[in-house]
Amino acid sequence: MKRKNLMEKKMFRQYLLLVLPGFVIFTIGLIIPLVMAFRYSLTDWDGMSAEKIFVGLENYINLFQDKEFLDAWWFTIRFTIGNTVIQNIAALLFALALDSGIKAQKFYRTILFIPCLVSAVIVGFVWLKMFSNVLPEVNEVFGTSINFLLFGEKRTVLTGLLIANNWQWIGYWMLIYLAGLQSVPSDLYEAAKVDGAGPIKRFFNVTIPMLAPSITICVVGITTGSLKVYDLLVSSTKGGPGRASTSVIYQTYTTAINGRQYGYGSAMSVTLVVVLLLVALIQVRGLKKKEVQA
Amino acid sequence: MMMSRKKSSKEDKKIAQPYTKGTLAIQIAMTVAAIFFIAPILMIINYSFKGKKELYLNSPLSLPESLNFDNYAAAFKKLNLTTTFTNTLFYTVISVAILAFLCGVTAWAIARCSHKFFKFCYIYFIVGILIPYQALFLPIYMIGYNLKLTNTRYGIIFMYVATGISFGVFLMNSFMSTVPLELEEAARIDGCSVVKTYFLIVLPILKPAMATLVIMQAFQIWNDYLLASLYVSKKTLKTLTVAIQSLFSAQSSDYTTAMAAIVVSVLPIAISFLCLQKYFIKGMTVGAVKG
Repeated sequence: MKRKNLMEKKMFRQYLLLVLPGFVIFTIGLIIPLVMAFRYSLTDWDGMSAEKIFVGLENYINLFQDKEFLDAWWFTIRFTIGNTVIQNIAALLFALALDSGIKAQKFYRTILFIPCLVSAVIVGFVWLKMFSNVLPEVNEVFGTSINFLLFGEKRTVLTGLLIANNWQWIGYWMLIYLAGLQSVPSDLYEAAKVDGAGPIKRFFNVTIPMLAPSITICVVGITTGSLKVYDLLVSSTKGGPGRASTSVIYQTYTTAINGRQYGYGSAMSVTLVVVLLLVALIQVRGLKKKEVQA
Repeated sequence: MMMSRKKSSKEDKKIAQPYTKGTLAIQIAMTVAAIFFIAPILMIINYSFKGKKELYLNSPLSLPESLNFDNYAAAFKKLNLTTTFTNTLFYTVISVAILAFLCGVTAWAIARCSHKFFKFCYIYFIVGILIPYQALFLPIYMIGYNLKLTNTRYGIIFMYVATGISFGVFLMNSFMSTVPLELEEAARIDGCSVVKTYFLIVLPILKPAMATLVIMQAFQIWNDYLLASLYVSKKTLKTLTVAIQSLFSAQSSDYTTAMAAIVVSVLPIAISFLCLQKYFIKGMTVGAVKG
């Protein structure tokens, strides 16, 4: 008995040795920065001076009166809702189309997937050129007059960015829906058919409930991904025109790095982290509940 | 009976059937969609071969007059390609190698040891998935600056490992049930240490999961912009994505060079994707579905 204990202790130590390096790296690289962000957010630090004056919650109170920050949130929220709705529906429709027994399924799958392999910085630049140089020429060829200069106007910049972002990510989420669809047992469809359910009824009563886990993943993934948008803006709109496409992270970057307001910028970071955690938790909870019912 | 019917209907699905009105419409719609998705890519390739004069004189939709590689030569020079390419490759390979090793052993130890500390570790890492490092770029930069990690090779690699590890541990942990405990116990009775058991027994079984992890992390790190732009500003340490971004802002009018640069930077991922497509797709969907 004693020997067994000794053995277990020895093994425990060896397992501990395996976990520790990862634990330390993770703590230093991500958890301590989280704590630091919170601490700095309570000061008025400018990033250079040695002294950091404690200001309490002042930064947070100011955030709620900061029009630029609220505008950044407003843009980010619209961008996120647009992406979540469009990407989910489009990805599901494409997955259904590919699963319907059409020819060259794999070919379409590859083409739709390729854009998500490209860095968002590149995607932004490519669509900048698509809108400003290539698509206007399409107008000339077909004699149409569609306004393609979407990044140039405050009114249309969101649409332009939604097109670019959806172009990049639809293929990825489509793949997840496709994997979900292919795991639905076909007996279920046949049983529903026997019961006299038409295709639309079958879709809502069989497909959607069976896809619930995939829907959870896609909704949470797209929402949290869109709230973090930054790379895409760097090379396309640079937050403009004006500040019409400034996202929360973009605004934080401008405030903290260019504006040298580290304390205030940290408060922005903390706000975003809190919102992201809350949104992910609420969505997972809500969607999981539906999964159970199904 | 049930089984056979299920099987046959699945097989039916795979064999292309003659078109009905519905499937024909879907086929056409998918082709139109595919054109939308491929058009920007064709445009990049098309532009990358065009000369400077063509840019102003010819239509953007026209094909290049001749296949000239001047843009590629220019991109090579302006991106400082030999340096930036090797840097990116170096950061990606080393970070992914470290991640593969650490995530494997960490996840395994967490799965096998029932001590409280390991249970805490599991939750600790899982919470990490929800913490977006992009939102914390500011303190991440500051901690790097204080620890003298900025503008060093190991600094950026350290950061890639730190930000990738929580997802990796989670992914590997979900595969641990595929490792039979009996084998591990047998190895232990034969006198293998914990580390040796991992390398001899566990690692070979985890290979498919490892492939998934490696592929996902590799292309994320290869494409990373935010961390690279914060951590390595020195010319000799820059990554491809950062170099391309500065090329974009420096040459917004002469974008044929930028287009050639895009082709060069995307080519390695595109080729590895086409070769490893099966693993890519399996990896991404397995990783996501397990989530």
